Amino acid sequence: MSILAANSQIQNIVDLRNITKTYVNGELKVPVLKGINAAVERGKFVGFIGTSGSGKSTLLNILGLLDNPTGGQYLLEGIPVESLSDYELAEIRNKKIGFIFQSFNLFPYLTVEQNIEVPMLYARVPRKIRQARALELAKRVKLGHRLGHKPTQLSGGECQRIAIARALSNNPAFILADEPTGNLDEKTSDEIMELFHELHRSGVTIVMVTHNPALAPHYDKIIRLRDGRIESVE
Amino acid sequence: MWSELIMMLPRDILTLAIHNLLMHKFRSFLTSLGVIFGVGSVIAMLAISEGAKRAALAQIEAMGIDKIIVFSQRPPLDGQSDGNSDASVIERYGITEVDVQHVMKMDNVDRITGLFNTRKKVLKGLSRTDIKLVGADRYFMEDTPCDIIDGRWFSPSDFKNKLNVCVIGTNVKRQLFKIGSQDVVGSNIRIEGDVYKIVGIMENSYGTQYPEIGTQSNMIVIPLATARAHYNDYAFFREGNTHKIIRVVYDMLIVKVVDLMHIDNTAKRISNFFEKAHGSTRDWGIVVPFELLKQREQTQNIFTIVMASIAGISLVVGGIGIMNIMLASVYERRKEIGTRRALGAQKSDIILQFLLETVFLTTCGGVMGILTGVGIAKIITMYSGMPTVYSVWSILASLIISCLVGIIFGTYPAYKAAQQNPIKVLRSE
Repeated sequence: MSILAANSQIQNIVDLRNITKTYVNGELKVPVLKGINAAVERGKFVGFIGTSGSGKSTLLNILGLLDNPTGGQYLLEGIPVESLSDYELAEIRNKKIGFIFQSFNLFPYLTVEQNIEVPMLYARVPRKIRQARALELAKRVKLGHRLGHKPTQLSGGECQRIAIARALSNNPAFILADEPTGNLDEKTSDEIMELFHELHRSGVTIVMVTHNPALAPHYDKIIRLRDGRIESVE
Repeated sequence: MWSELIMMLPRDILTLAIHNLLMHKFRSFLTSLGVIFGVGSVIAMLAISEGAKRAALAQIEAMGIDKIIVFSQRPPLDGQSDGNSDASVIERYGITEVDVQHVMKMDNVDRITGLFNTRKKVLKGLSRTDIKLVGADRYFMEDTPCDIIDGRWFSPSDFKNKLNVCVIGTNVKRQLFKIGSQDVVGSNIRIEGDVYKIVGIMENSYGTQYPEIGTQSNMIVIPLATARAHYNDYAFFREGNTHKIIRVVYDMLIVKVVDLMHIDNTAKRISNFFEKAHGSTRDWGIVVPFELLKQREQTQNIFTIVMASIAGISLVVGGIGIMNIMLASVYERRKEIGTRRALGAQKSDIILQFLLETVFLTTCGGVMGILTGVGIAKIITMYSGMPTVYSVWSILASLIISCLVGIIFGTYPAYKAAQQNPIKVLRSE
């Protein structure tokens, strides 16, 4: 599929050009994003930091192709996504974006191995390859011995590691992490951030959205949001 | 695309379906009750009606579907017989020798077996029992569903020489002899001054009841020629304090036809003949087992339609219940749906997942319904003795129907699930 062909020539994995988002509620128009220009370069660890009400969640939804901007252009590895069909969007979410959620969003009734396999299932990866890849990823997040367990038998930190393994399963263009340490204690948070750094060192592009300014030192590039605009880029 | 999907997802989806089922065991059970009872009643009623049908068909077929039965019956008394004292002493009615000769000559009539009920009482010890002594033609054994289980049927010479021989029914043997008596065949019994030698024992294992005469198991049969020699066509009997003489030549005719296809016409012709010959006196009757069979089948069809409608209604109600619960489940699991969408599930993946879950639920309900139905039928058989018959067909049909209920009533919730906005999940706590 042409839209999915990785284009290594393009340096900007994410390229946001004057993105706006306005929610219409009857007569009332609420502008949430007021022209966002930002880029995530290949291999970078980029943090979007903003307080609640800064438009951070809306931006996250747009970055994750779960919501459409009202105006502007979003290029994902050079592909203008606003013209894509629902089917193609799902396919891009599946193969190019690795979602990580604050509350892990693992499926409690599936084993660790099955959880890691879910995105590959939707990508129609044959079973044997799926299983081999799940094992490899579980080892990568140092939980290779936990494949047969259920998420309820794991600690919060372990759950987030599994979620990270799941996000990596289809070799996405970038990881989109939404407040990944928000539900973890300080020590576990540090471990998870260390895991992100490891991934980053191995060449994975990471976009992290957070309210927590304390995480700022971790990022290559810090984009601060305030009131629907970019306040600063460091 | 879809076939690929079906090949790959089942483990995931089945795990999920089973998990959801077990997580809400009681709710799933309540949800499935409609389907359980729907399918259960289908299975039970089919089993019962099939059993009843087979029993009735066996009875009717046992009378012989290529036979027409004509019988004599006592005409209803009119007021006039009061004044005529003679008529109250001797009653003459029913099928005559002339009738038999006429019927014999009709097209499509193969042969006729005549029966004459002597209305004699058989003496056993001091008590008179209600055993019928019947004179029969030689084809009686062949043309009725009856088997000789011991001894033999009458030989041509028994008829020719008008010998005092008899064949007794199994119930008669039970009444007259002790259990385990060995030498019943060959022994003699006495019937109002006449001594008959028992040459055979017969049994009607179908329980066929003939009009006015009943079943062979309760009869003593003697050669018709012997009966004529002893009694001609006279039967003496007592009604209250008055003694009566009844003269009936033939109590019953078993008319065997050549071609079953034209049995209706033959029966009609016989009826017409009797109507003309006997005039207004309704001292005869006619039964066509083949007609009964057809009527029975028609009633059966009506019964089946009524049953199917009832089952259909309960399945629809059950299906609506399932749709309701699946809609609630979609709402509860918005987060799961959103996560799956974020991870790359297509809308069709979500539809398939919820549809398969519903089908799994209804099929489980169907299996439980089948077990319930079989159980109900078993209990009915146990307590009422009604036979029940399950067919592989009815069980298969129930499974397919419960599957279809899942598909029909699962489609809308599945569609609803696919329409959920995934944005809601990312920050929903």
